[in-house]
Amino acid sequence: MNRLILKYGYPITVAILAVLAWVTYRIFTTGGSDHATFIVVAVLVWGIGTFLFLYLWPMMTYSAFKRAIVRYGFDGSPIPINTMYAVPRLASPAEPNSSLLGTGTDNLLYIGGWLDLAKGPLVLHVPDMGDRYYSVQFTDPSDGTNFAYVGKRTTGTEVGDYLVCGPGWQGKVAQGMSQIISPHHSVLVMGRVLVESDSDLATAYALAKQIQLTPLPQWQPKH
Amino acid sequence: MAHILITLNNAHVVQAIIIGAVLAFLTANVIMNAVMKAMTTTVNGWSITLKCGQPGNSLLQKAACARILPAVNGVQEAAYWTTTVDNAGRALNGQHTYILHFTAGQIPPNAAFWSLTLTDVAGYMVKNPIDRSSVGSRSGLVPNADNSIDIYLQHVAPAGHEPNWLPVPAGNFKLMLRAYLPGRAVLDGTYHVPPIMKVQ
Repeated sequence: MNRLILKYGYPITVAILAVLAWVTYRIFTTGGSDHATFIVVAVLVWGIGTFLFLYLWPMMTYSAFKRAIVRYGFDGSPIPINTMYAVPRLASPAEPNSSLLGTGTDNLLYIGGWLDLAKGPLVLHVPDMGDRYYSVQFTDPSDGTNFAYVGKRTTGTEVGDYLVCGPGWQGKVAQGMSQIISPHHSVLVMGRVLVESDSDLATAYALAKQIQLTPLPQWQPKH
Repeated sequence: MAHILITLNNAHVVQAIIIGAVLAFLTANVIMNAVMKAMTTTVNGWSITLKCGQPGNSLLQKAACARILPAVNGVQEAAYWTTTVDNAGRALNGQHTYILHFTAGQIPPNAAFWSLTLTDVAGYMVKNPIDRSSVGSRSGLVPNADNSIDIYLQHVAPAGHEPNWLPVPAGNFKLMLRAYLPGRAVLDGTYHVPPIMKVQ
């Protein structure tokens, strides 16, 4: 569906506009209609609706992401809230048309998850990446801003635990743990782990799988 | 009550709401595309936007980014260039052959990796005989004697240059160049990707 809209956006738009023009023409050529009310209502809905679509677009987009992640995951198996899922294979033309993976790069393994911090903070564990490029991106789904990164650029490639908490959480951060404060309880998390070559895929996947979330009460320091 | 219903019916209010809503949807999309265009820099046919995902974007910029590049990396993490045209602005099409020539030192500066991925115009990878959808820093490209790099974009294998071949589909296609952990020249806008040259 998405692919059809991307490919045939213009003809679809022209067809819709033609139908609307025909409906409008019929209304205006039919006697006894209240044309002024028709125009006022249409223009009001048009103006207010345009603003609402623009204002709500990020929220609509990311709630679709949430639905996709929680219901279908990346490859058909749902990803429960507050867990991370690593896709075991690289992007390729074999991906189904609906899969976002088909639009990615075949240099990276993708990891994804949706957080709900209302029930308390989570601990993000990352393994020792041994200088390998990786990143974990934290996106605010209300407006699409990336408010934090864990990864080679920002925190290095050593093993680590990061406390991810929602707004207003009051508590003590364990020693040696960095804190990531999310502006809202909902968070979209996207991870990327570099695959050096075909023969490196298994190693990269083993590392990607270790990027995991644990609710704070169940978390035990591993090192 | 009946009077109101008759008035609504005579004024075709339901149709007016549907028409207004559809126009609002289309207008919002036109605005988001225009805003994205304003946020995008295009040099040599390659387009890049540096602002998506960053803090401090306006309502319109946030909408445009969510529409066109949802959940994209900030540019400090990764830079993405796309093109659908050659050096003369003609649509890239698999009936022609093209070369992307990086002079020595002209590959996108980066501290992680770079790659050039070929997709259909909607952005999805395309099946091809050698199962190769991208070339880049980790694909074993063979440089020329002067350390420049030629990437061959064509339907049939370039004799003697197979490692530098990116197979193209029969119809129109799109290219995306990625540089992860891009260098300063990318972030400050001084780096430019060379154009896709059509081979005559």
